[in-house]
Amino acid sequence: MLDDDRQLFRVDARRRLLVIGGVSGLLMGTIGARLFYLQLLKGGQYHDLAEDNRISLRPISPPRGRILDRSGLVLVENRPDYLLTVIPELTGDLKETLQELQRHLHLTEEEVTDALKQARNQRRFLPLRVRAHLDWDEVSRVETRLYDLPGVSIQIQALRHYPYGNLCSHALGYIGELNENEKKDPENQRMRPGEMIGKSGVERSYEMTLRGVEGVRELEVNAMGREVRELRFTPPTPGRDLSLTIDVELQQVAVDAMVGQTGAVVALDPRNGEVLVMASLPSYDPNEFIRGISGKLWKRLMADDDRPMINKAVQGQYPPGSTFKIATALAALEGRIDPEQRFFCPGGYFRYNHYYHCWRNGGHGSVNLMQAIEQSCDVYFYHVGEILGVDFIDRVARKLGLGQLSGIPLEGEKAGSIPSREWKKAVLGHPWYPGETLVNAIGQGYVTTTPLQLAVMIAAVANGGRLHRPTLVRQDGRPLQEPPKVSPFQHEHLVLLRRGLEQVMHGARGTAHRAKLMFEVQAGGKTGTAQVMRHRRTAEGKIIKSSERRHQDHALFVGYAPLDAPEIAIAVVVEHGGHGGSTAAPISKKIMDYYFARQRGALEEWRHAVGQA
Amino acid sequence: MPLGRPEGLLSPSSGSAEETRVGERLRRFPVALLLMLTALVCLGEVVLYSAVGGMEQLDATLRQGVRFIVSATVMMVVSVTDGRLFRRYAYVFYGGVLFLLVLVFLAGTVGMGARRWLSLGFMNLQPSEPMKLAIILALARYFHDRAVSKGIGVRDFLVAGVMIAMPMGLILKQPDLGTAILLLGVGGTVVFVAGLSWKAILGLVAMGGSVLPVAWNFLHDYQKKRIFTLFDPEADPLGAGYHIIQSKIAVGSGGLLGKGFMAGSQSRLEFLPERHTDFIFSVLAEEWGFAGAMVLMTLYALVIVRGLVIAASAKDRFGLLVASGVTALFAIQVVVNMGMVIGLLPVVGIPLPLISYGGSSMVTVMLAMGLLAHVSVQSTK
Repeated sequence: MLDDDRQLFRVDARRRLLVIGGVSGLLMGTIGARLFYLQLLKGGQYHDLAEDNRISLRPISPPRGRILDRSGLVLVENRPDYLLTVIPELTGDLKETLQELQRHLHLTEEEVTDALKQARNQRRFLPLRVRAHLDWDEVSRVETRLYDLPGVSIQIQALRHYPYGNLCSHALGYIGELNENEKKDPENQRMRPGEMIGKSGVERSYEMTLRGVEGVRELEVNAMGREVRELRFTPPTPGRDLSLTIDVELQQVAVDAMVGQTGAVVALDPRNGEVLVMASLPSYDPNEFIRGISGKLWKRLMADDDRPMINKAVQGQYPPGSTFKIATALAALEGRIDPEQRFFCPGGYFRYNHYYHCWRNGGHGSVNLMQAIEQSCDVYFYHVGEILGVDFIDRVARKLGLGQLSGIPLEGEKAGSIPSREWKKAVLGHPWYPGETLVNAIGQGYVTTTPLQLAVMIAAVANGGRLHRPTLVRQDGRPLQEPPKVSPFQHEHLVLLRRGLEQVMHGARGTAHRAKLMFEVQAGGKTGTAQVMRHRRTAEGKIIKSSERRHQDHALFVGYAPLDAPEIAIAVVVEHGGHGGSTAAPISKKIMDYYFARQRGALEEWRHAVGQA
Repeated sequence: MPLGRPEGLLSPSSGSAEETRVGERLRRFPVALLLMLTALVCLGEVVLYSAVGGMEQLDATLRQGVRFIVSATVMMVVSVTDGRLFRRYAYVFYGGVLFLLVLVFLAGTVGMGARRWLSLGFMNLQPSEPMKLAIILALARYFHDRAVSKGIGVRDFLVAGVMIAMPMGLILKQPDLGTAILLLGVGGTVVFVAGLSWKAILGLVAMGGSVLPVAWNFLHDYQKKRIFTLFDPEADPLGAGYHIIQSKIAVGSGGLLGKGFMAGSQSRLEFLPERHTDFIFSVLAEEWGFAGAMVLMTLYALVIVRGLVIAASAKDRFGLLVASGVTALFAIQVVVNMGMVIGLLPVVGIPLPLISYGGSSMVTVMLAMGLLAHVSVQSTK
């Protein structure tokens, strides 16, 4: 750089710095002028305003909306909770008062230290929360001594209560104290620390409906900030009640039917996508969260191998096993494979240097599509997979809602996975092997689905191909979102498929023929038995059973009824439950039997039948 | 006595005339600047003690004091560091912080509001703070290298624009309007001092005027609401307008000499929001009146003038630009914070330098002052 160039630059830079100085001066001057105006010219006026400003605003939390089931039974409500408070400045000596309370109520050392700590951090005229959830006995013990304990009082606050305990916990969710992250959400800006907010389930998804608008108490306070009188009271607007589509009686039947098992059950109304049952087992009791969950219980819930905190209905991703043959069979029809064409099943299929077993060691002989669905012949579907290829089946499965989010308004829904060549390349980085197409066609290998997806799929098959977005909230029987008017499948294909599903229940060799419904209600369905791990076999091909529970197959069933005008569609997944036909199908049967028995006013008969079984 | 400097870290060449020993540099440290900053912090401590109130007040005041002492030490270290170090690593620093901002953008959970922090497990990092310094260093390096003598060309302007726009966009997305505007102001100042032609400035002002209505649509609803309430706070006195009204009453009722230490009824009675952080100026104005506010403003003005003088006498272009950027960073925070407290500007959440309670703000300001002192040390002949 030349010297005079440098010089030029310096002169220019100095001029520019002067401009910056000038602008800064101007801005500071404006602020000064504004201060002059506010403090000196208008000072008197503002002084009066400040004197009058003895109004303190105390926000009042609105009562949270209740949650009801489809017939109006209360699933979530608010209950009064008794809270022991102490106002430090009214007590003679705070420590003494607390010691006195300790004698009568068995306060722990921790509760006393917490109260003293609170006292150091807030003003002396504000109440300390010493203990919540007092029972009647404790309340009366305090009430009788109030006269000797100035400053002590019993306050009532609303406490969320879930009358059905752990029955619906995953769909309902629970609430908890607002955390730092949630506070940052603009929606929650006006909430105060310690206020309760929905953490999961419907409590979270419909937070804004349930919350309501907070009210304000305008108080006149004296110079120390102590309350003198109430000036105005704006009552809080309570949160709105939420009517769910859940049928709590049916939910109870489903959970009872799953006794001793883990897994999930979903029942939908195929006409509009309303969720009638959503059960995930094992479960937890949300009431325990409300009372402040203990660290030990939380750890136990999180460490439990059966994962009680997971909503398996929407977050559990299971291999669908033979229930996936619904998609493969539909693909066969859409792919122009003649339903009358027969494939021979000798008990397995030797291909690509590997023997692919059929579940039935002795084989099914020569079967067409109807028979293959009825008896769930694996070899038939190996052939279908080989003819159509994985990508074709993938497209049909997606049209049935598999491999994608159903869009149910619940946090954390999982999409499962429907593999294609592209998918495997992208996700796993490996090319597709032809043998995998065979495994894929019977719902094993990379295929995973959630129980909700299976329910949506069978509902779509039942209602003529319309894929509903499932909903948990009632809107007068209207679907959450109108599904496409035109089915993506040919009508005749669905008719044929449904005939096959009917045979599963009603055919002599149907895999679920022992799960026929009461009252002669006709139903359609498909069983599934999903391998969790590769079976070890004897030289003759017999499966060597492992005795460990976690090695047992998952049992699945999807079904709908009645055949001619379906009202209910169900998916059942029993983890490590063994066979779909013997474990999962009877669970669906119990639920459907109850549904139709109640409809016919024949619950006595149902109880009798269940009692006998 | 040579204090010794870490050879490997700094320039391998040694013995040049410009290089002075650390001890000598320390002797050139601008003590006056540090004294002004100390005066500001002392004033701040008095107000803070009153604003926090209750049992916590001593604790908070002490913590703020310790923060100042620690960051003043950092300021000194920065001031005596080899200058080439800042220049050499300016881009690396900028790139690193930009990367962290992208991480913040990606790592947040969908559906949550502001995403400003990166959780490192043991601490939370807010990359928008170091970005305030990184943008100054990176732009200074750029224009230092380009050495434009006849004003900035279109290409230089575009490069600088992109350098400012990238972090700004990411911070706007968080959403943090205050910091984004701060970046624009600071970056703009550096570009201006580097020699943006007057014609271009006129053009930009015209363009800005026409883009403003479009930008309005990109603001979040709550941000729009803040701007609306600025012009008409009484429309929502219990909601969005509450802060502004209460703050104005506090400031106005202070009068000439204020209500006295610990005697501000507005601050005492918890009418004021955020009174120990963003709104601390209204506590000062209420308790110490117009007189107290003027003392504060005079101290700020002294620092700003000192900053501009250091910039004008900088050894090279890099120093000039760093000093101007740092001074702008300081001045804009002062003006925007005060403007918002007295109801001239919308509430955007920018702290008052050295007065507001808070660690990250203090560290950033003092690091910036360290850079300023550094330029001053280098220039003194």
